[in-house]
Amino acid sequence: MATERALDEFVTEANEILDQLAKDLFVLDQERGREPDPERLNAIFRGAHSLKGLSAMFGVDRISRLAHRAEDVLDALRLGKVPLDDRLIDTLIETLDMLQALLARVSQGTSAPDIEAGADHLQDRLGDLAKGRANAAEDLLDQVGLDPAMRSVFTEYEEHRLRENVKKGVGLWKVRAVYSLEDFDAQLAALNARLKPLGEVVSTLPSSQPGDEASIAFDLVFGSARPRADLEKALEGATLAPLTSRPAPEVTKVGRPLPPETSSPAPRPAPKWDETSASGFSPFPESPGSALRLAPDASLRSLTQTVRVDIARLDGLMNSIGELLLIRSNINRLAESARQVGTGVALPKLWGQELQREARALERKLDELQKGVLDVRMVPLGQVFDKLTRLMRRLVRESGKDVDFEVSGGDVELDKLIVEELSDPLMHLLRNSLDHGIEPPEVRRLHHKPTRGKIRLKAREQGNQVIIEVGDDGGGMDEARIRQVAVERGLVTEAQAQELSRRDLLNLVFLPGFSTRADVSEMSGRGVGLDVVKTNLQRLSGLIDIDSRRGDGTTFTLTLPLTLAIIRALMVSVSGRTYAVPLSSVMEIVSVRHADLKTIERREVFEVRGQTLPFVRLGRVFRLPEQPRERSYVVIIGLAQQRIGLAVDELLGQEDIVTKPLSGRLRAVPGVSGATELGDRRAVLVLDVGALMEELLRPQAAAS
Amino acid sequence: MSVHKVLIVEDSRATRELLAAALGELDGVEVHLAISGFEALKVLPRHRFALIITDINMPDINGLELINFVKKNPHYKETPLFVVTTEGRPQDRDRGLQLGAAEYVVKPFEPADISALVKRYLKLG
Amino acid sequence: MSRFAELLDRFFYRPDEAVGAFLELAPETEALPEAAPEELPEEFLAFELAGETYAVPIATVREIQKVGDVTEVPRAAPNLIGLINVRGEMLPLYDVKRRLDLADAVPVVRSRKDVGRGARVVLVKDPEGDAGILVDRVQGVVKLNLSRLESAPQLGVERDAVAGLSRKDGHLYILLDLEQALS
Repeated sequence: MATERALDEFVTEANEILDQLAKDLFVLDQERGREPDPERLNAIFRGAHSLKGLSAMFGVDRISRLAHRAEDVLDALRLGKVPLDDRLIDTLIETLDMLQALLARVSQGTSAPDIEAGADHLQDRLGDLAKGRANAAEDLLDQVGLDPAMRSVFTEYEEHRLRENVKKGVGLWKVRAVYSLEDFDAQLAALNARLKPLGEVVSTLPSSQPGDEASIAFDLVFGSARPRADLEKALEGATLAPLTSRPAPEVTKVGRPLPPETSSPAPRPAPKWDETSASGFSPFPESPGSALRLAPDASLRSLTQTVRVDIARLDGLMNSIGELLLIRSNINRLAESARQVGTGVALPKLWGQELQREARALERKLDELQKGVLDVRMVPLGQVFDKLTRLMRRLVRESGKDVDFEVSGGDVELDKLIVEELSDPLMHLLRNSLDHGIEPPEVRRLHHKPTRGKIRLKAREQGNQVIIEVGDDGGGMDEARIRQVAVERGLVTEAQAQELSRRDLLNLVFLPGFSTRADVSEMSGRGVGLDVVKTNLQRLSGLIDIDSRRGDGTTFTLTLPLTLAIIRALMVSVSGRTYAVPLSSVMEIVSVRHADLKTIERREVFEVRGQTLPFVRLGRVFRLPEQPRERSYVVIIGLAQQRIGLAVDELLGQEDIVTKPLSGRLRAVPGVSGATELGDRRAVLVLDVGALMEELLRPQAAAS
Repeated sequence: MSVHKVLIVEDSRATRELLAAALGELDGVEVHLAISGFEALKVLPRHRFALIITDINMPDINGLELINFVKKNPHYKETPLFVVTTEGRPQDRDRGLQLGAAEYVVKPFEPADISALVKRYLKLG
Repeated sequence: MSRFAELLDRFFYRPDEAVGAFLELAPETEALPEAAPEELPEEFLAFELAGETYAVPIATVREIQKVGDVTEVPRAAPNLIGLINVRGEMLPLYDVKRRLDLADAVPVVRSRKDVGRGARVVLVKDPEGDAGILVDRVQGVVKLNLSRLESAPQLGVERDAVAGLSRKDGHLYILLDLEQALS
């Protein structure tokens, strides 16, 4: 890969690096047993690092690998993770010799099998040495009150040096110097020379304030045990200020607080990929098979024991079951009232008891029938996965990108209605992975990713839910860009955008109005229609979550109930209207006196067992006429960690209801996901708990 | 046709030459070189750069500090940056992106690939 | 736009698109023929709205019902009167008078008691979802000669909901454009 001339350049530069390394190691050798100068250790580390990078760029792998191992050891060394003992110094010196030998061979153009064996051996020894003890968990820097903006720029090494200074109990200072652009490097060198005898310069940070075109400011983070007066003598025009707003432990320093810098959020430790993805990278278990275990490629057609059923007939059956359920509740009610009335009059009471027995028998049979019909409605996801696979294969071919499409979990079964409604959202997500997730091949190479991209579609059962994952190993979402777009489109304010957690930030892409088609090609992410995907899923009582890391890829996780058709619901009444609340989302029901309500930031809240929850008047949300009341029943609904209390007027009992999704033009109604039929044939709306929670928890939603 | 000025900040001379050669072949690109962070600070006010490609590990100020400086400076903050990291240090990549780099590149890389990336990014030809 | 982008553009998901088509599913409902004035069948259902006679092609009519229970739907479109239960199917019931500027407000209808004796629900088929419209009275099926279709005179705002006018036996029938009337 390198030309003749380039190789010479490489050899020259590599020699320079090795010469410097030799000098530094020599000093280290001489000063055995003494505390090493951190700057020198850092310089040696940087030498190994530079050599590694340089030789890798020129394809000289032997040197690169050895330098890499050395770099690891030296990194551990400068971070205080391993001690500098004789064994380490000796090994480093041997490594230097080896590197010089290898370089000599490279420049001569000869190979060196004899040396190479030695190099491998040395690599192993370095590997062992690099295993050091982990650093103690408690972080002094947190206690010291460091400006988060500054801390976010520090490298691990600089933090380590700062920590060491804190441990030693020396004072921490910020030295600010403003120099002209012409000669700042010389001036800085001079300043450093004056400061070095007095302590340690941990970091040199260029600053834009003041914003003068011809000058540039620097903030030097400096640790010193000397009193202020001594330090000021060395400054010559630079200014001195204490670095932190709180005294370092064991050291008391009085100082004026730092002027506030333009803030950037305090950095959280970069989350590991597998901590944050909804399903983690645990190996995807094969879904538990049903009695018919299908081979991966088998289609339903190859089994002779199946019958094709017209979905309309199934719907008819479901309707019948629905009606039977209604009849059952009617019978229950009759039996209940008959039993009560019966005190003192023998016949009605006995009759009531018999009636109740019959009702129970009916209930058992109905359960069986219901289960049976529901089972018939269950179809394997493979039906839609197969179609998606065919389509993806075509799209991948047409795109010209090199992509592996992995599918699994096709034998997971779901209600046919849900499966059919899934094909659109899944197709949408997959298309976006292909178009915008997977990077062009040269970019993937620059990212050291295999040129072959991966898009995966996986399903698995989890309790009475199904989890479907659509993911890719592409470029991931650009958080900065998401923040920018969200603010531009007025979806959040600048201040709110800074406060958002990573997960919340990513979830902004689901907001309607997030991006137009025109934007999509610029972002290395997605945008078009994701709000539609989310609302479609919500209508199916499903959830969608997103996790993405720049450079690693993006994963969408869809959570769906196994079946929609019949659910247990809590019937409530608000301003005379009846609504059904799916019981699976109801955590608790309490009664609250309006006199006990409080207001926080213009929102009503109430207390239950020490917890304060939002008190949301459903009547107000639905803009229904309100009557003043003294108390309300509060249905506490929850999803994940969030809870809110929906205030209603009356509780009307629980019912098993057959839910019909609202289709066509009624899809757009917010907060309502379907309707059901009651005994008197009245249609009653079923609340969309997920959508309501989201609507009510949004920052802009004020209790009005 | 307007010219796009690209600044390469890299302390390894040989690597610098490789990059300059590769990018120099692109039509409409004028390559500028800085051998250290300090050099970059000096050069910044002199030209309006369409793109800055910076290594991380450099003697005086490191690449992350340079990115931070550029992104926080009202005069330069619109300038996109690519951060060059090395294999096995995803934390550098994450930090670089967090501080505002538009793209990241992992060493070692083929100069032709970075050429293609720059060409696509600057929408050349 | 690159050639690939053009090709892919056909498959781009648009929120208003019936995406099912390209997944090669056999359609479960028949596709409706696009209604263009030249192709309208001759038979129409005529009904009364505020004393005027309107008509829609008979092929679009699914059924006619008496007004039953209507469930209120919170925060829905203003022209939605409510939800009706048609043998288990939950369908929207719309008011069109407001849209045609024949009334100032959408009426509150919860049951038969809230409407006149002749009032009916005309259920129409629509690709966006079947729906019912509330009418004052149904007159019956009428054959109209479309070659004599007149365009609506300056009627103002509601003009786009009207597809045209037709006269027969001295009566004026106003042809309703359903898609506009329901939007």
